[in-house]
Amino acid sequence: METPTIAQAAALIAARAISPVELVGHCLSRIEALDGALHSFVTVTPERALEDARAAERRMMTSTLRGKLDGIPIAHKDIYCTRGIATTAHSRLLQGAMPDEDAHTAMLLAQAGTSMLGKLATHEFALGGPSFDLPWPPARNPWNIDHFTSGSSSGPAAAIAAGLALGATGSDTGGSIREPAALCGIAGLKPTYGLCSRRGILPLAFSLDHPGPMAWTIEDCALLLQAMAAHDPEDHTSIERPAPDFSAALGRGVKGLRIGVVSRWHDTDCPVSPGVQKGFDRALAIWRDQGAEIVDITMPSLFDYQAVCVIIMIGEAYALHEPWMRSRLYDYGELLRDRILIGGLLSSSDYLQALRRRRELCVLTAKAAADVDVIATPAAPREAARIDSISKWGFLASPGFAKPFNVTGWPAACVCSGFGEGGLPVSVQIAAKPFQEALMLQVASAFEAATDFRSLRPC
Amino acid sequence: MTKTPVEDFAALIRRAGLPVQPVDIRQIYEAWALVEPMLDRIRSPGRDRAAEPAHIFRADIHASRPGETETF
Repeated sequence: METPTIAQAAALIAARAISPVELVGHCLSRIEALDGALHSFVTVTPERALEDARAAERRMMTSTLRGKLDGIPIAHKDIYCTRGIATTAHSRLLQGAMPDEDAHTAMLLAQAGTSMLGKLATHEFALGGPSFDLPWPPARNPWNIDHFTSGSSSGPAAAIAAGLALGATGSDTGGSIREPAALCGIAGLKPTYGLCSRRGILPLAFSLDHPGPMAWTIEDCALLLQAMAAHDPEDHTSIERPAPDFSAALGRGVKGLRIGVVSRWHDTDCPVSPGVQKGFDRALAIWRDQGAEIVDITMPSLFDYQAVCVIIMIGEAYALHEPWMRSRLYDYGELLRDRILIGGLLSSSDYLQALRRRRELCVLTAKAAADVDVIATPAAPREAARIDSISKWGFLASPGFAKPFNVTGWPAACVCSGFGEGGLPVSVQIAAKPFQEALMLQVASAFEAATDFRSLRPC
Repeated sequence: MTKTPVEDFAALIRRAGLPVQPVDIRQIYEAWALVEPMLDRIRSPGRDRAAEPAHIFRADIHASRPGETETF
């Protein structure tokens, strides 16, 4: 059996053509066979997965399924707290830590009937990776295990690409859902800030952290987001507004929509590889052929967004880690230790100037995008590099395309746009205005459905 | 090349109370050269004095609501 998408599996379960127990068994077999090389899981929970699947099977047999996620095997990035299951942040400092509550989003996904396969690799505390000095090895890219997954949602991206899980949770502070999704050739979605609760997810930077779904297709991301997006009164940044039907506009195409392109970003600020450029041009051509208008727009420099994102990120992260940085500094892996440590050298004025600049960038971004429906960019500047070539300070050197939408809190998703050098995936990013996830998914799915890249799996 | 002399940089680390081994200070110092341009970039000389941060204190968010719990 090939690993189905969530939508395919949901249809099979609804038709009683496959059992949720059989589906979990398929995933556990693939984990057993493949994860010794991929290292995408930190903890596998077969008993929990089978218990969840048996409950879903009973609902299937009594026609009381809870929806399209009932019986779907998923896994959580290991910064999502899970009651009674170790939540480590891939760090020695939390090895064996056992939360007594689920993260709000993990609870919602469990209530939707999902089967929980286990906990997935992350960069240490969602920033330090790929690290080779931690209790667990870094996840490997299933398209070529000598190559990087990007991060920090490295395990989710690798597990989904390899068909070890049908969906996963991730988190995105400066691109941590979208960049690994791009490099592993899957779909990833960072929702509007506040749409999904952050409660119970170990924070990296409070004001930039976005929980979100990762899956093989954009349609599957929409299904996962439907369960994850709910107001949480215990998260002060959680938005109190009814979630729309995120799948409603899938299949409507893009006729009449205006898609903004910021040429300066990929031409000058962050030049892209030939493979990435080809994938991006392919997406624009398909949308144009389908009746969309491609519009060049002018935005602030990517370096402006990067400066704001990095200063806020390391400032907030240092504040969170300060007690351990002072008392257990060398228990961290080298990458996280040195990256966060810089936050301790910033002044209060540095942090506040970044917040003031953030507000200006939010205003400038909204003005620049006033006349377009969505913005399209490459998702990552190039194909996955070799895992042993990643620089500790690379995140300071390259601005990337993800950070504008962490700084502004706008939703953004990425979808595979082909294959570049070495047969490694490339990807395109679609961003929308706050709470326009359904429109963003509509545009992304219009491209995805027009290509056959979803028929190719790495293993 | 950073604008901050290495001695001043080491003093910043000591002031933060961080027990960084001397051998590690040098490579973190090299990364500071990438951070300094970011710090320059977030300071806008012409910024309105009244321009406020992106997230600012709001009393209504902290008004007590029935059943609300807070963790610190």
